[in-house]
Amino acid sequence: METTPQTGLSLEHPIHDLEIVRNHIREGRFQRSLSLLTAFASLMSGIEVSYEHYRGSYGRRVMYTPVILSAVLFFAGIGGFFSKRIARTILRFVSVVTLVDSLIGFYFHVRGIKRKPGGWRLPMVNMIMGPPVFAPLLFGTSAYLGLIASYLRREDKTPSLPRRSPNVPGKSLSRTAERDLLSSEQDIREGRFQRQMAIATGISALMSGFEAFYSHYKNNFKYKAQWTPVILAPMLAAASFASVKNRKAAITVLPAISVLACADAAAGFYYHARGVLRRPGGHKHIFYNILYGPPIFAPLLFGAAGALGILASLLGRRRR
Amino acid sequence: MTPEVPDTALLPIDPDSGEPIMPRLQPGYYSGFSTLSQKPFWDDATRKVVLERVEKKEPIRFFKPAQARFWTTVFDHLIPQTDRIPERRIPILPALDKRLFLGRTVGYRFENMPHDCDVYLIGMDAIDQEAQQHFGGGFLSLPHLRQELVLKAIHDGEPKGAASIWKRMSVHRFWQQIMQDAIDAYYAHPWAWDEIGFGGPAYPRAYMRLERGEPEPWEVAEQRYAWAAPSHAASGESETTHEFYTESLQHRSHSKGI
Amino acid sequence: MLGALQSIHVPMRKFKELEEVDYIIVGVGSAGGVLLQRLSRAGFNVVGLEAGPFWDTEHDWVSDEAGSHELYWEEPRVTGGSDPLALGANNCGKGVGGGSVHWAAFTPRLHPSDFEIYTRDGVGTDWPISYADIQPYYEQLELEMPVAGPAYYPWGHPHGYPYGPHPMGGAGNALVRGCSALNIPVSIGGPVAILSGSHGDRPHCIYRGFCIQGCKVGAKASTLITHVPDALNSGAEIRDHSMAARVSLGKNGRVNGVHYFDKNGNAHFQRAKAAIISGYAIETPRLLLNSACPGFENGLANSSGTVGRYLMAQAGTVVLGRFDQLVRVYKAPPAHALTEEFYETNPKNDFARGFAIQTVGPLPIAFGKQMVAAKKVWGWGLRREMMNYNHWASFGLLGEILPWPENRVTLDEEKDRFGLPIAHVTFNLHDNDHKLIKAATAKTIEVMQAAGADEIAHEARYAHLVGGARMGSDPRASVVDKFGRSHDIPNLFVCDGSIMPTQGSANPGLTIQSLAARTADYLISQADRVFTSSDRDMTSPPIRRNLAPPGTWGKGVPRLT
Repeated sequence: METTPQTGLSLEHPIHDLEIVRNHIREGRFQRSLSLLTAFASLMSGIEVSYEHYRGSYGRRVMYTPVILSAVLFFAGIGGFFSKRIARTILRFVSVVTLVDSLIGFYFHVRGIKRKPGGWRLPMVNMIMGPPVFAPLLFGTSAYLGLIASYLRREDKTPSLPRRSPNVPGKSLSRTAERDLLSSEQDIREGRFQRQMAIATGISALMSGFEAFYSHYKNNFKYKAQWTPVILAPMLAAASFASVKNRKAAITVLPAISVLACADAAAGFYYHARGVLRRPGGHKHIFYNILYGPPIFAPLLFGAAGALGILASLLGRRRR
Repeated sequence: MTPEVPDTALLPIDPDSGEPIMPRLQPGYYSGFSTLSQKPFWDDATRKVVLERVEKKEPIRFFKPAQARFWTTVFDHLIPQTDRIPERRIPILPALDKRLFLGRTVGYRFENMPHDCDVYLIGMDAIDQEAQQHFGGGFLSLPHLRQELVLKAIHDGEPKGAASIWKRMSVHRFWQQIMQDAIDAYYAHPWAWDEIGFGGPAYPRAYMRLERGEPEPWEVAEQRYAWAAPSHAASGESETTHEFYTESLQHRSHSKGI
Repeated sequence: MLGALQSIHVPMRKFKELEEVDYIIVGVGSAGGVLLQRLSRAGFNVVGLEAGPFWDTEHDWVSDEAGSHELYWEEPRVTGGSDPLALGANNCGKGVGGGSVHWAAFTPRLHPSDFEIYTRDGVGTDWPISYADIQPYYEQLELEMPVAGPAYYPWGHPHGYPYGPHPMGGAGNALVRGCSALNIPVSIGGPVAILSGSHGDRPHCIYRGFCIQGCKVGAKASTLITHVPDALNSGAEIRDHSMAARVSLGKNGRVNGVHYFDKNGNAHFQRAKAAIISGYAIETPRLLLNSACPGFENGLANSSGTVGRYLMAQAGTVVLGRFDQLVRVYKAPPAHALTEEFYETNPKNDFARGFAIQTVGPLPIAFGKQMVAAKKVWGWGLRREMMNYNHWASFGLLGEILPWPENRVTLDEEKDRFGLPIAHVTFNLHDNDHKLIKAATAKTIEVMQAAGADEIAHEARYAHLVGGARMGSDPRASVVDKFGRSHDIPNLFVCDGSIMPTQGSANPGLTIQSLAARTADYLISQADRVFTSSDRDMTSPPIRRNLAPPGTWGKGVPRLT
């Protein structure tokens, strides 16, 4: 059987390949794929934040940071695909910095809404017309993926021994904390972080659901289909949080709703793209219409939550 | 107090049934819409100015009583309000009276117009003379439709009488001025905003639905109904023509065919 | 307060009554505000006289059409001629910030061709400067306001804008639909001096549509919020409610101060080493004419006889279209899209020069008055039309009316409450103007039709007001030189819209502020020579970007200039 040396996949037997992929995930052997996914997610986020911050006219220099970081994270993800060392060092570092940046962005967005006339006393108007409140944290999703990826094993067959020392340089921790950290890292490395990923899925679903809610409120849910992400998101969140306690939920409800979410995201992307082209001038003013039409990447972010959910359902759980 | 019995000849008509439409609280296609209900969302300075406009009864200080009666009647033709119940009619004369009393103007006077304070006094004479010329009686003595026809002659720029007055006051600029004063008073009022579906003051809360005419959550969707001008009205027509390109020609009558 | 978040904390410096200041600026409007800021930042002692109030935007301004009349010049004037101009709220501001308080804030640049229409087309006159002279100032003011607009603006000298474009409202979408259907390029979302993203303490636009009633948010630029704060921080003084009465000429043929009336009607005299008149196209010539004295019997600095002449307004016809779908034109700033595709002279036309087509956003009272003119409605017809208010979208064209000497500002016999003869404005259209307006109206109607309107009406009117003290290199045919210095008097300057020799089809606001910054750079580079010497150094000054208000830098996007 022909196998590509790195991943063990043969392209001639898709069912068998799917099984291999599933095992890889369950064993935590998907660093390269996740690095690539990180790069892709970062590219999408980067494009989105670039033009959204252009709408905000880069009124503060800090608005350039997510643009720059998403480009760096993109390259780090590509690098992580090719090199284990880059995945474990550069990708990890850039991901952490990007996560910090997304928190800074969240602070500035909340502050920006407060500084609009009426501030938080006019919550709907100012969230809709001000900076999108959860967008920076959703932007952090790609960094979260990158961080996870930096701890995983790679798809090749060579076993990697767990590292002895915890990855927290210079700090003195108690023995239990040290052991916990080591154990967490090992869990990730071996694919046993289903619950953590379920939590991430739940939070991500809630945030993008809320974004969908107030954004669709802007045109008053003119199309009934606009309710679907608003209904699915809390369902996905519920399934995700249930999966933290309940292993059965993690392998039944969670993947089911996650797939629905992904399908809904695809439909949303289609509707948004159609909405962009239906704007006055259509393709003749395509850049402007992308800027001010329905945000074409937003449904994909909801799809990202769904993808996290699917990934979570495939993972192993911690032994404790 | 006996309620006013509406003269049905002065009421707008439902074109399907031919019946007069009874006066209502709020004519217009935005039934249920109230800009005043949104005043908690206005800023203090704006709220004060707008509420004063609604609540305060301005005394009449510039016009003498007879002049006030005269011009109130004229304004009832320029901006008729018989489709409104009496308690919800928008006063027009007080705002004009205040402006003239304070000597406030728009900041310019056309060469062929007297000063604002004289326009209304001279104009009153001119309208009375026009009424005499057309129907042999003073303006106020005429029935409603004839009053309207007298004013229409001036609107058309074809007055039959008062030639000496129109020599020192442009008939077209005069008409423009009295219409502008009427509009200034009527459409500054929140009840008029409700009638036409205008959002009213918008600070600090402004709009989030800018396109496709979508209503804000607190605005109301349009509910159109058909209506025709009353039978005793001569002011229901409009003329759209694109024969005029300059302002000096436009403000004269279209029907003159210049 | 100046807007929602911005406020001035520094107590304003007050010069003593008899103290001689370096510069006195009459009129703290678009030009006056910029001059005040630049000169005071450069270290000069400057006083600005403003006939209107120094606004506190939170308390003095209301989000209400009828309640905003105090923003406009309502002192008496007479208007006549065969095509008399409406003044007041239509084109004249009052108060600190002047016209930049009530403008709709469209800020296109003039085209390179505008500076030499006589050479190119044999009409009007050439400017004594070229586009290249003013270009750095256009770039600079576009940063200081700042101006929002598309990344690539194709007409004139193509360039981009430091702030991104705005979302559209009903009128803008109609213009975009109409232009797209006819394959006419259109600029979407600007150029407007309105923030699309926040800028320091200024929040961005909240799309409330009350631009012309003064921006309470602080998103729309006016020199009140962009330049006056820095002027005060730099030690300038603004005297509001101060009506300039006459400019005083000393025995040595140099200006030595300005007489003015304060709020209570008391007369004062402020001594100054030099004077800059920035009262705009009506009040500037009026003041110069009222300052007539021995040696200048026809008006101060008027040896050429051109003070008051060559007054220009643009054709500003509004084309209204009624649509089946609701428009709600009152939401969104009136100014948000435009096309200059027809700006330049087209040899196929029977007229020289051209026009622009822009969006406008009439509020109810303005709309009602437009309907009275456009459809001759009154009574029930007016009530019906007004009930359809939300179905109408509106475009405004700007047509380049040429400068004519008999279009002018003179003094009337009538006097105002200060005892000063009031301005008498005379305006007449000529052949080229008529043909241009007719073609522009037809083209705008065509665009409105292509946008899908069921019914179209139009109201002919005028917009803006410039000229009256034009600049030129020939002292016999102009009032000031290319830096705004009057030909007749070495320390008397004029710097506002009145110095423009032609107007193009662009809103004049950006050009006025840019000319002011350029004049300021000239004055600063001349230093004390302005106060003592009669020499006229005609070298162009370098642009001093470090004199921009401090909040200018570190914001916005890189762009094509």
